[in-house]
Amino acid sequence: MLTTSERIAFVLIALASLLLTAHGVSRIVRAIARGQGRPTWGLFFRRVIPVSLDILLQRPIFRTRPLVSALHAGVFFAFVFYGLVNILDLAEGFTGFSTLHRGGIAALYNLIADLLSVAALVGMVGLLVRRFGLRPFRFNERVFLLPSVRFGISRDSAIVGGFILLHVGSRWVGQAVRIAESERADWSQPTASLVAALFHGWSEAALTTASHVTWWLALGLILAFLPYFPYSKHIHLFMAPLNLILREERPLGQLEPPTSSNGALGAERLEQLRWYQLLDGYACIMCNRCQDVCPAHGTGRALSPAALEINKRYYLNRNLGAFAGGATSPPLLEIATTKEAVWSCTTCAACVRICPVGNRPMLDLIDIRRALVNQGDPLDPNLQAALESLARYGNSFGKPARQRARWTKELPFPIKDARKEPVEYLWFVGDFASFDPRMQENTKIVAQLFHAAELDFGILYEDERNTGNDVRRVGEEGLFEMLVEQNLAALEKAQFRAIVTTDPHSYNALRNEYPAYGFQVPVYHYTELLADLLERGRLRVQQPLTAAVTYHDPCYLGRYNRITAAPRRILHALGLELREMPRHGENTYCCGAGGGRIWMDSGGQERPSEQRIREAVALGEDLRYFVVACPKDMAMYSDAVKTTGYEAQLTVIDVARLVAMAVGINGLERESISVTTEAP
Amino acid sequence: MTIVVVMEQVPDVVEELVIAPSGTDLDRDAVSYVINEYDDHALEEALLLAEATGDEVVAVGIDTTGELDQALYTALAKGARRAIKVTGDFEGAWLSTRAAAQLLVPVIKELDPRLVLTGVQAPDDLDGQLAPTLSALLGWPHASVVISSEIADGVVRARKELWAGITMTLELELPAVLGVQAARQAPRYVPISRVRQVMREASIETREVEPVGDLAPSLMRLRFPAETSQAEMLTGNASEIADRLIELLRARGLL
Ligand code: SF4
Ligand code: SF4
Repeated sequence: MLTTSERIAFVLIALASLLLTAHGVSRIVRAIARGQGRPTWGLFFRRVIPVSLDILLQRPIFRTRPLVSALHAGVFFAFVFYGLVNILDLAEGFTGFSTLHRGGIAALYNLIADLLSVAALVGMVGLLVRRFGLRPFRFNERVFLLPSVRFGISRDSAIVGGFILLHVGSRWVGQAVRIAESERADWSQPTASLVAALFHGWSEAALTTASHVTWWLALGLILAFLPYFPYSKHIHLFMAPLNLILREERPLGQLEPPTSSNGALGAERLEQLRWYQLLDGYACIMCNRCQDVCPAHGTGRALSPAALEINKRYYLNRNLGAFAGGATSPPLLEIATTKEAVWSCTTCAACVRICPVGNRPMLDLIDIRRALVNQGDPLDPNLQAALESLARYGNSFGKPARQRARWTKELPFPIKDARKEPVEYLWFVGDFASFDPRMQENTKIVAQLFHAAELDFGILYEDERNTGNDVRRVGEEGLFEMLVEQNLAALEKAQFRAIVTTDPHSYNALRNEYPAYGFQVPVYHYTELLADLLERGRLRVQQPLTAAVTYHDPCYLGRYNRITAAPRRILHALGLELREMPRHGENTYCCGAGGGRIWMDSGGQERPSEQRIREAVALGEDLRYFVVACPKDMAMYSDAVKTTGYEAQLTVIDVARLVAMAVGINGLERESISVTTEAP
Repeated sequence: MTIVVVMEQVPDVVEELVIAPSGTDLDRDAVSYVINEYDDHALEEALLLAEATGDEVVAVGIDTTGELDQALYTALAKGARRAIKVTGDFEGAWLSTRAAAQLLVPVIKELDPRLVLTGVQAPDDLDGQLAPTLSALLGWPHASVVISSEIADGVVRARKELWAGITMTLELELPAVLGVQAARQAPRYVPISRVRQVMREASIETREVEPVGDLAPSLMRLRFPAETSQAEMLTGNASEIADRLIELLRARGLL
């Protein structure tokens, strides 16, 4: 029990601490509220229970790093339970109520508290050793960090870690002191009872003092820490669940139109971001998981999605009063990231998927691009040429629209014109498959397979346009809208039941972006159709294939749209031995082409596609095929296999070509199909 | 003050060109038009100059295609303050450079600019006569093949390309006319949303003219260049190549 003066002191300090904390929290709330848009609070009631369950089970963080996640879980469970512990300890301090040496539920409570204290201490020591001993959190030297961040991350970790250690440790030792006072071990607190032995032989007065000191260290410390709490990464405790609960219900593959403030599109400054993008900064726990999976950072570019979030938070914390009060922030390109970083994002969404607290750093990058494009900031010359070509001809190849279907002339049969006669499947071919001479061979094979399977299909001929998927992600919203309008006008002329696409990027746009413009039609990827045709016997395997292969999931197919089974079903049906690369399925690694990167200069640096080829080669020397299901991948990896020097060992091949090899198609000799990746 | 940029639309050669049955014109229905590439550079250079001096850029063109609006709206979206199109009965005519210059001069005089920029050449003005003709009709100094420029101390300094990588900087008294080969930086990209906004909000001024005299050269026949014979790559070591070269030159009576 506390003395009266101690009690008065505690209440006064608690009041002061709570006031200070409330001040901090309210400033943060006002800062976040300066972001664009407002949360849909309806989501809160629908999601609060399922998301809380996820969090209690620590599901979001166990997606990677099992050991570290286990340490975190120890700290987390202790922390949750300590909510109760602190209340009871408070009661003990003020009323003398005690659970010591009681049976039943009190004993159970003591046991859990005792064990979790140890779990938290072990977990925390483990995490601190990792952070300060192993120093796993490094940014490559090109990443932009605010000066306050460099030192701040470690300081914040040290304060939070130290607080948890001291708080839990004091409480644990305090229990030991109480056990020592009672002069007999408490079986429901086994570890504290062991520690109690240390106090053997202490005088009663010394034990009383120790009991007071540990109580103050455990609970008084909370009061001391509380005002710092809103500014520490510990605030993720509230912000992370809030972020997960209030997350917009929107497919990963659908962007919101740019925000507009006084005619300026996109986000040049902090306050032009959406509210949840500001919340992201506060939810971020600086774990760098996003950076680990980022293909741009992984190839030494200046981009780190983690640094972006951390910079945002540190800038806000340092300027919170002014920003919450309505001051204009400096440009994001001065406080959060750099132009080089912004343009190196491939929009692969790996950061979005991996983040345990539901952050979406990619969206910030796209919003900054939107602002840059709309301000007329000079673009990469190749990108500009691509955009100008898209605006003029509807494709990025600088070719007249009339040439789009030229590849069909080399087929032994005509392809239906879906604008003139009804078809079951409208084949949306896509730019690369239509115009790139290296891809046209595959495109013809796909056509022949569809034909062989007697699929009722047609194309839009010269009326098809690039869907604008990557145009939107480059930040050229106006051009995206124009392409959508042109495609919708063409689609309106055609009669069909469903769409099939070759290109995952077109797939994503038609499936996720176009519905916002009133277009609702089932969309399939050609791998889905081929898998189906094989399994239903409409394509028959004449001669099973025997090679060992690996399959690369395209970001816009595997991660964005979770189509991972169909291509594997095909490989299985053909009799191929599939070896998975460590990063596959939804965790796939980007080839580096997305988000308009395919139109930009790689600046002579290593490409993600080259790392990917090495990842495949590591699966064994007998691995014969690197299988792709995306025309852009075909382009990227055909280059990468050459530049890495594995051309002789590994062949990059489109899955359709493998199907053709196994089923055999009229007019095509097996040999002529299996001619590696070289265009004739 | 004002800087005038003269812009022209030309057939897009990316698209297939078709000769009309008359044999003296392109099939106009199959032609699509783009802004003359050098005029695009002239516009960029003008915008860069104006950004430095606070001048007002006015884009001017003769609407021979009926589609000039698109190009002028793009110029407005890029930063021109006004756009003026000269209209009249030009149907089916490829204006001669001289006729074009004569049509433009009154508009330029009306605008009273201190500088006129236009592309150094165009597919229908391969010898680059528009800038010199304008300058002669206006009586102003002129420089062509300009690759950068600067207005300072009441003069314009224009760097022009000569040959073999040699450049020369001229100082011209204002007002002056420049034929631009290339702007200091690549012509800027203009986002589609800005063009669309301009199309909603801005308007293009019109100057109706009554064309007089010979507008266009009279065409006798239009045809595609005959396929020239294939190039031959000379291979082998230096002396073999030299032998073959001598042989080829002899065969043509050049040695
Ligand atoms: S989307 Fe991909 S490339 Fe862009 S920041 Fe995220 S992980 Fe990096
Ligand atoms: S954004 Fe998410 S994944 Fe990245 S450091 Fe922050 S919490 Fe970790």
